[in-house]
Amino acid sequence: MLTKSSIGATVLAAALLLPLLAKAEDAKRYPDWDALWIRGSPVGAWDPANPPGRAQKPPLTPEFQAVWQANLAKQAKGEDFDIKATCGPVGMPRLMTLYEPIEIVVKPKMTYMLAESMSPIRRIYTDGREWPKIEDAGFLGFSIGKWSDTTNSGTYDTLEVETRSMRGPRLMDSSGIPLHPDNQTVVKEKMYLDQKDPDVLHNDITTYDHAFTQPWTVSRFYRREHNPIFAEYNCTEDNPWLAIGGELYLKDAQGYVMPIQKNQPPPDPKYFQKYWPAKK
Amino acid sequence: MRFRGLIGAVGLAALLGAAAAAAQPVFDQAKYPDWKGQWLRTGRGNGNAWDPTKPIGLGEQAPLTPEYEAIYEAGLKDEANGGQGIDPTYLCVPSGMPRGMIAVLPMEIIITPETTYVALELFNMRRRIYTDGRDFPTKLTPSFAGYSIGHWQDSKGSGRFDELVVETRGLKGPHTYDSSGVPFHTDEQAVITERLYSDRNDPNILHNEVTTIDHALTRPWTVTRSYHRDPRPQPLWTETYCTEDNHHVLIGGHNYVVSGDGYLMPARKDEPPPDLRNFQTAK
Repeated sequence: MLTKSSIGATVLAAALLLPLLAKAEDAKRYPDWDALWIRGSPVGAWDPANPPGRAQKPPLTPEFQAVWQANLAKQAKGEDFDIKATCGPVGMPRLMTLYEPIEIVVKPKMTYMLAESMSPIRRIYTDGREWPKIEDAGFLGFSIGKWSDTTNSGTYDTLEVETRSMRGPRLMDSSGIPLHPDNQTVVKEKMYLDQKDPDVLHNDITTYDHAFTQPWTVSRFYRREHNPIFAEYNCTEDNPWLAIGGELYLKDAQGYVMPIQKNQPPPDPKYFQKYWPAKK
Repeated sequence: MRFRGLIGAVGLAALLGAAAAAAQPVFDQAKYPDWKGQWLRTGRGNGNAWDPTKPIGLGEQAPLTPEYEAIYEAGLKDEANGGQGIDPTYLCVPSGMPRGMIAVLPMEIIITPETTYVALELFNMRRRIYTDGRDFPTKLTPSFAGYSIGHWQDSKGSGRFDELVVETRGLKGPHTYDSSGVPFHTDEQAVITERLYSDRNDPNILHNEVTTIDHALTRPWTVTRSYHRDPRPQPLWTETYCTEDNHHVLIGGHNYVVSGDGYLMPARKDEPPPDLRNFQTAK
């Protein structure tokens, strides 16, 4: 049985040790992940272990399986279902397919992910903060990360991240795998360099969402670009796609709308007739 | 066998060495100014004129050549008639440089020894200012943010950098200085120089002296923009996407608006309906 004095001594020792442990943690160095990373896993499917489209086998509830089937049908007919067609944001976790490259900048209190496609910035707070009381932190959500040194080498090697408070609508991939519109998605990631190749960054991503029957885990990887060319990718600059009344159209070289399907109806100009009827 | 153990030990040491080599170089924060945090523009309320000391529009007295003054005035007239003038941002074309430095929404400055990043929340504009001693590439691919090279200066000889002098080239158009549509020359030869420095009396104020040299101007145009630091320890950052809910569409050179229920609407009085020639020929 511990005596009062031994308990006191233990508490004192712990009190003395805690600052030392904290200092040791402060002394740890951060991994050299500062680079431009390009996708290694194929794009177009969320789970790179399965082919894109129906073979993805997402763990959707029957209700959201029906939504996905409807999206696949819309895709086949050229109808509007994906905000990305008109340069909308893809959000989390889809951003982490790295459709276009991402630059990572690691700072002690923050890891930045600078995405080239439409240039959103993902901030992963690693300063020990608590979750803020916000429901909507944007399409990328709010991310809190924690570094760990799994080999006790003195350099952190693993970043575990949790992301909440995402805005919708979001899809998992370009086939239209849906997420629940309640926007209660939680994404957990574990990032680490490949054991044999420091130019490969792994990301094990688990998505929790009310559209799923179970958490969905996939493993994606990215490659370090040693001779990066940092570019802007502004989808809006010359995007020829137009979404009008749920239909997708294209603009021709002169800027006029054209159909993308045989017998596709033109955009309905009824509001022109309503506000400015044709002069007789 | 004894040597096997030694080889193993050497191998382990090499592995540990490799792990140590994979660490990030230590960043000496004391050499650089403390520009951390969230910066917000000062002097709101005059319509985001490029020159914050003057009223937006003709009152700015932009030193435009007669040719570009005429283009500007035609754009202002179009705006007065319900049009968009020559400001392309209504179609979600990035505002680019130097307009982004108005910082309509908050700005973050991320300093590393090789690069200083400027992250602007409005439509996620981002700049990379290279401070690694490189020269401008002989061939630049134009971009809206341009290609920026910076030099840190220790103006007081204090041992700590306190000014960042930046030159930006390779700017892509179309772009304007502000929402009134003060134009740039279409030759995309503009050069921007900036001097970023903390206020002498208040470290929570940052100044940016911006000079633009452009063939649409009769002389270099210098304005000073300022930003103040949000005092909150954990200011909130978010994203903004122009495309999230932009209803403007350009069809055959005419601007239309897609209504909430998905139909095309005129954007101004007496605008003709869209030319649907491709549908007529398809019949």
